[in-house]
Amino acid sequence: MENHSSDSRDPAAFLSSIIGAPVTVKLNSGVVYKGELQSVDGYMNIALEKCAEYVNGQLRRNYGDAFVRGNNVLYISA
Amino acid sequence: MASQLLPLELIDKCVGSKIWVVMKGDKEFTGTLLGFDDYVNMVLEDVTEFDYAGGQTKMPKCLLNGNNVCMLIPGGEGPVATS
Amino acid sequence: MADTGEQGESVSEPLDLVRLSLDEIVFVKLRGDRELKGRLHAYDSHCNLVLGEVEETIMTVEEDEQGQESVKTIKKQSEMLFVRGDSVVLISPQSPS
Repeated sequence: MENHSSDSRDPAAFLSSIIGAPVTVKLNSGVVYKGELQSVDGYMNIALEKCAEYVNGQLRRNYGDAFVRGNNVLYISA
Repeated sequence: MASQLLPLELIDKCVGSKIWVVMKGDKEFTGTLLGFDDYVNMVLEDVTEFDYAGGQTKMPKCLLNGNNVCMLIPGGEGPVATS
Repeated sequence: MADTGEQGESVSEPLDLVRLSLDEIVFVKLRGDRELKGRLHAYDSHCNLVLGEVEETIMTVEEDEQGQESVKTIKKQSEMLFVRGDSVVLISPQSPS
């Protein structure tokens, strides 16, 4: 899945550039997770640190660490 | 043989310019396309997310999962400019 | 992908977080408003899980005669449970606060 003509800003490069940064992850269900991005893999599985869960925009829970299965992910926002 | 443009080549021409992404279901996104891969996962900048209720969410940068992408419109302004 | 240079951290890919939770109590969020809490005995790359001493919580929305909606939770206990990976949304090594 390597890139075509463009160089730096393909998905893989974007992901490695935001490791360790605070991110927002939105799932297809509309649930939002905010936390520090520990790691991502090729399935878009995500590990988040200090993770907060928002349902309908309201804080629902906090997790120390969380693994999110990639098939549920709509987007990862920096 | 007339030269034809492959679908992914069309998207490659959009890198660096505004794009309108329509998802399966109700969601739509607009933003500047920074890059994409073979699954049409896309990195977008200055993103606006439109939900079906008319709500808008702005994000500086995001990686959009290609899984639920339905349609891409180069230069698209999003569902706002329908006049 | 591009993560070969930055070793040293124990979590270099997301599933490492699950590996580190083996034999520990984990919280699992499933599709369809279901949650599990139990001891993680085994997992694979699909997120198929084997959990022991499990408490399952199912949340349903009920409507009474006046059309008022209320959330009802049902709890179930199981000694051992297999979870098919495709229904997994989230796995957290410690119980949520």
